[in-house]
Amino acid sequence: MLKTEGRNWIERFRWKWIALYFAQIAFLSLAIAFILLIIIALCYPYTFEIWHLILAFSAVLICFVLLKPTWKINSADVAKYLNTKFVQLEESAELFLKPKSELTLLEQLQVEKINQHLPIPGSLNEAWKKLALCLAFLLITLGGVVLMDKYYWYEQVIEDIFPTPSKANQIKEVILPEIESCQLRIAPPSYTRRAERTQKQFTLKAETGAKISWSIKTNGSVKKLRIIFNDKNAWNLSTSDHLNWNFSRVISQSGFYQLELNGKKSDLYQMEVIPDFPVRIKITQPKPHTTIDIGQAARVILDVTLTDDYGISETYISATMASGKGEGVSFTEKKLNFGVEVNNKTNIKLNKLIDLKSLGMKPGDELYFFVQAKDNHGQSSRSDVYFVSIVDTTELMSMAGMTNGVNLVPEYFRSQRQIIIDTEKLLKEQGSLSPAEFKNRSNTLGIDQKLLRLRYGQFLGEESETEIGGDHEHEEGDRHEEEKFGDAQAIADKYSHKHDVAEDATFFEPEMKAQLKAVLAEMWTSELRLRTYKPQEALPFEYKALRLLKDLQQKSRAYVAKTTVKTSKLKLEKRLTGELDKITEPVQNATFEQKNRSIDDLKILLSVLENKKTGKSFSLGERQLLRDGEKQLIVLASSQPLSYLAALKSLRKISTSNVANLKDVESVQKAIQKLIGFEPLKPQAKVAGPDVNLYRSYFNHLKNAGR
Amino acid sequence: MEFKLIITLLSLAFAAFLVFKEIRRADKARLTWRLISSVLMVASFALLILPITYSVKKEEPAYEMNLLTPGVSIDSVSAIKGPKFDLDSSLFPSKRNLKINHIPDLAYFLKAHPEIKKVNVYGDGLEDAQLQALSNYQRSFHPSANPTGVIAANWPKKLNASEDLTVQGAYNNQTNQSVWLKLRGLGANLDSVEVMPNAKINFSLQTKPKQSGKAVYQLISLQKSDTLSADPIPFEVVKKQAIRVLILASFPDFEYKFIKKWLFENGYPVAFRSQISKNKFSTDFLNTKATNLNQINQSMLKNIDVVVIDDQELTSISSSDKAAIYGAVNNGMGLIVRVTNAKADGTKQSFGSYEVLPSTEKPAGLKSTDGFKFNSLPFTQTLFLKLAGNHQPIITDEPGKVVVNSQISGMGKILTSSISSTYQWQLGGKPADYGEFWSMLFAKSSRKKIENQSIEIQPQFPSVNEKLRIIVDLANQKLPKLTIDGTDISPRQNIELPFEWDGFYWPKRSGWANATINQESSSIYIYQKSDWLSVKSMLKQSKNFNFIKNQERKNWKSSKIEYSAEEEISKWWFLLLFLATSAFLWYELRVLANK
Repeated sequence: MLKTEGRNWIERFRWKWIALYFAQIAFLSLAIAFILLIIIALCYPYTFEIWHLILAFSAVLICFVLLKPTWKINSADVAKYLNTKFVQLEESAELFLKPKSELTLLEQLQVEKINQHLPIPGSLNEAWKKLALCLAFLLITLGGVVLMDKYYWYEQVIEDIFPTPSKANQIKEVILPEIESCQLRIAPPSYTRRAERTQKQFTLKAETGAKISWSIKTNGSVKKLRIIFNDKNAWNLSTSDHLNWNFSRVISQSGFYQLELNGKKSDLYQMEVIPDFPVRIKITQPKPHTTIDIGQAARVILDVTLTDDYGISETYISATMASGKGEGVSFTEKKLNFGVEVNNKTNIKLNKLIDLKSLGMKPGDELYFFVQAKDNHGQSSRSDVYFVSIVDTTELMSMAGMTNGVNLVPEYFRSQRQIIIDTEKLLKEQGSLSPAEFKNRSNTLGIDQKLLRLRYGQFLGEESETEIGGDHEHEEGDRHEEEKFGDAQAIADKYSHKHDVAEDATFFEPEMKAQLKAVLAEMWTSELRLRTYKPQEALPFEYKALRLLKDLQQKSRAYVAKTTVKTSKLKLEKRLTGELDKITEPVQNATFEQKNRSIDDLKILLSVLENKKTGKSFSLGERQLLRDGEKQLIVLASSQPLSYLAALKSLRKISTSNVANLKDVESVQKAIQKLIGFEPLKPQAKVAGPDVNLYRSYFNHLKNAGR
Repeated sequence: MEFKLIITLLSLAFAAFLVFKEIRRADKARLTWRLISSVLMVASFALLILPITYSVKKEEPAYEMNLLTPGVSIDSVSAIKGPKFDLDSSLFPSKRNLKINHIPDLAYFLKAHPEIKKVNVYGDGLEDAQLQALSNYQRSFHPSANPTGVIAANWPKKLNASEDLTVQGAYNNQTNQSVWLKLRGLGANLDSVEVMPNAKINFSLQTKPKQSGKAVYQLISLQKSDTLSADPIPFEVVKKQAIRVLILASFPDFEYKFIKKWLFENGYPVAFRSQISKNKFSTDFLNTKATNLNQINQSMLKNIDVVVIDDQELTSISSSDKAAIYGAVNNGMGLIVRVTNAKADGTKQSFGSYEVLPSTEKPAGLKSTDGFKFNSLPFTQTLFLKLAGNHQPIITDEPGKVVVNSQISGMGKILTSSISSTYQWQLGGKPADYGEFWSMLFAKSSRKKIENQSIEIQPQFPSVNEKLRIIVDLANQKLPKLTIDGTDISPRQNIELPFEWDGFYWPKRSGWANATINQESSSIYIYQKSDWLSVKSMLKQSKNFNFIKNQERKNWKSSKIEYSAEEEISKWWFLLLFLATSAFLWYELRVLANK
């Protein structure tokens, strides 16, 4: 008897426990479902509907149930739990569950002992507490939801996350009174990786290729609702109940549209397309033309910045190497990867070290390369072509250019080459020379370099004053010239510091002069290194000077081949004595007919509108002008709605109403001004008033009197 | 008089009664004092009622009056000595303490006050009619400081199509903030200039008007977002004046081809002749009727405004043709000579000599002497013109060597151009430069069109309810029929210039008005009173200034004048005396007599 009582109690406890647990997770799931929905609403444009909540709630609930399968709890578990929780049971709750026949005497005694404590008061307290906590959580969440709904509804959130860039979105639209509400769903194409969005206004701005779905609700049954694009193409909206209307279309071009409701046309709404531009490639390093001189490392560091609207899918360097000379030039093409995944990033900075040696380039070879990139829409773009060339030293040292053609300044070229040869020799012998001897020879080379530089300076017309690195020496002491008395020029010369202007001294072209100066600069640096006993460092500058000189030599050579022309001698007495009577005299007659009078019409329209400002009404002819102007504006508005749609709207307003709004007139005038564009000046005869006749007769009298 | 007499008699009677009572009193103490007091009391009482006046001699600046006109600053008014008058009672409405008297009519006031010999005018000055009233007076003018705003403005009232509108003027900014001047028209801002704080600048705003017909642009001055003023700029764009061109070419080159095409497409009548062989010509007649061009004579050239010819052709044409061309030039036709070859002989005397310079390094940019800069042509100009005494340079290169010049020959002009390939502008996508270049050459040389009539309006800004003078020049000397907006105007002929007529009109409403002269109508614009206020006041000031400057230099003696004036003795004295005497009598009766 007692035994079953205890067993029943345990059984009841188990059921109560499970029931309470379900209540807890139900509350909790509801709260979590609300929170989830809010998070979704914050991230995406979203409209609340009740089944969303039910779905979220059941999903969370199922999760809970699966994670913690409470219904599986059996009586033994309960007994174990009770044993750990309540001392009164003296670790013997399982005994209740045993069949009576199986109980030992001791166990029977124990059962009877603990049976006195049953039922244990407050055994479910903990479960109740948990339930209360869950309930509190749910209440707090609900409170939060209400507050959110009131002060922070999702539209506002959308505006924060997707700020509307154009002011057009804030424009107040004129909507047909029959339309109760409208919703536009803009689904951007997949490559933009933008989420679908909805809006409640008709003016829209969407990516190229976006799918726009209109769902319009009318407040009464409407027979027919049409949508007209660019005043040309009209489409019927589909409907099932004549109240809710739907239409969708992929737009790829800017323009405008309007709705026609039972033949009644709405205002014009702007449709702007955000185009996808190809990848912009900006190479910050190297320069378009790079020359690698001897002694410099044969590598190029390439720094590129790539930007795209939506994502870059692919990029690589296309390199072409040219090697060989003359007719034996061979080209090899290579595709170099940056070795970095671009991963549809919109903005990426890449760099690459191009090792020319590893590409197989030798001195004298040239490398042309450009960067190619593709965006995720499949549009590809490429940068300018960049050049890298490695200087061929053997070419510089060869005498090939000297032996033929114009020998402008061969001596000097040889000298620069000689200095290079000597420097290299000095470097080779460095080990076997004493330091003093080495320095001495280096210094001597420096002096040679200076002499050479000064000679080139003369060549440029430099005096010692303006020469590079030269010092100013005017020995005042040793002037023993004969004094010239009475020679003002001589006296003036004595006190004035006269120099020829270096710039004008020779007849070189400025470009050549600039290059000569560059040569001198290189020579000066080389001299500096030589004089400071660093021939190794001087070598690149020597080579560069030589190369520039070589270029100069090539430039100064312009050779035009001689051609011989033999003509028979003219007999002058026979000239212009031919018979001409059969030659007819051609006469052309033409009158220019202006076919396109639209610009002229627009000009007149401008002053018609100007008249309208003073409140005059339009005449019949003026109305025709207005219509012509409207046609032209429609064409423009369909391609550039941003600039012309407002004007088109205003023009329609002006032509329909009697009283014109000044703002409307001005907006139309502004658009027409833009449309007319620039007009070059045309010759005009000067106009003189009738009073000129007086002066003319005076002039004629004077003339006659003079005769 | 009656009242005075009654008062006097009553007072005398009352005095006599009091004296009688005092004498009859039993207590004879202080009788003399009492009698004197009684008499004095009655007398002072009577004098309280009857005022006593006396005449005095006074001095004031002689015969001067100060006239305050709009523009006077209130601070300076208090510093003006002497009587102040204004002609507009609304000028200083709330400043009663400044003692400014109002004169309804100046001429009447001056007639009524012949003693006034000098009039000082303060402010912007007086109107024309009012100034006339001052012609016999010594006058001085104290103009108010230059106002902040546009103080001068002008622009052409009539433009040919494709010409620029240039609005020039001066702006005076007395404030501590910079001002933006904006030219606004047809709904768009067209040009602007900034005026620095406390500066006076001359401005020139330019735009190419897009409309054909009438329009009213605006000159707006802005300080930050405040609009200081917005004044109308009315003007009219009329159709272009066609130029009839004859081109005589030795051989057809690209330059001719392009000029021909350009003129043709712009609708100008062009006749083109080029020699193909001896006395054989190829002729084109574009937008004009065909005539025989083999022989050139004066009568044919009468219908031509400009002849374009190259130096080779000029040397090869017959002397009669040449004479005909020069004769036509002397009668007003234009001649443009294209010099292509420095060696062309026979032209040296008439067109000045040329100089060939060694090629310079880069193609030099060209600029016109009136300030237009052309984009440079892609070739090097080596042929330049030498200036002789009667030559005017039209277009030079950057360093100032002349490439196009002009000389007067009779009533016409001969232009010489050494630029041979202006068509490069057209090819290079710079039609604006090409248009500018040839428009300049044609405009400078072309025969002048003489209008049958011309209109001039005075003042510069005719306003509503202000007198407007319309001056009409006519080709013939017949009496014109003049109407403005349907109102007939009686014309008056100028005594010296028989072709000039004028009339007066009082416009009733602002805006465009229609002036018709012999059935030919033209538009004039009537401004509102509030338009161009600062310019108007500046104009008025200068007019007044001139009027005052032109007065005869008589030796006006500015001395002080004496005059007698009636002065009244204050009644307070009599009241005091009355109180004192009556107090004495009362005290005597109550205190002293009871002792």
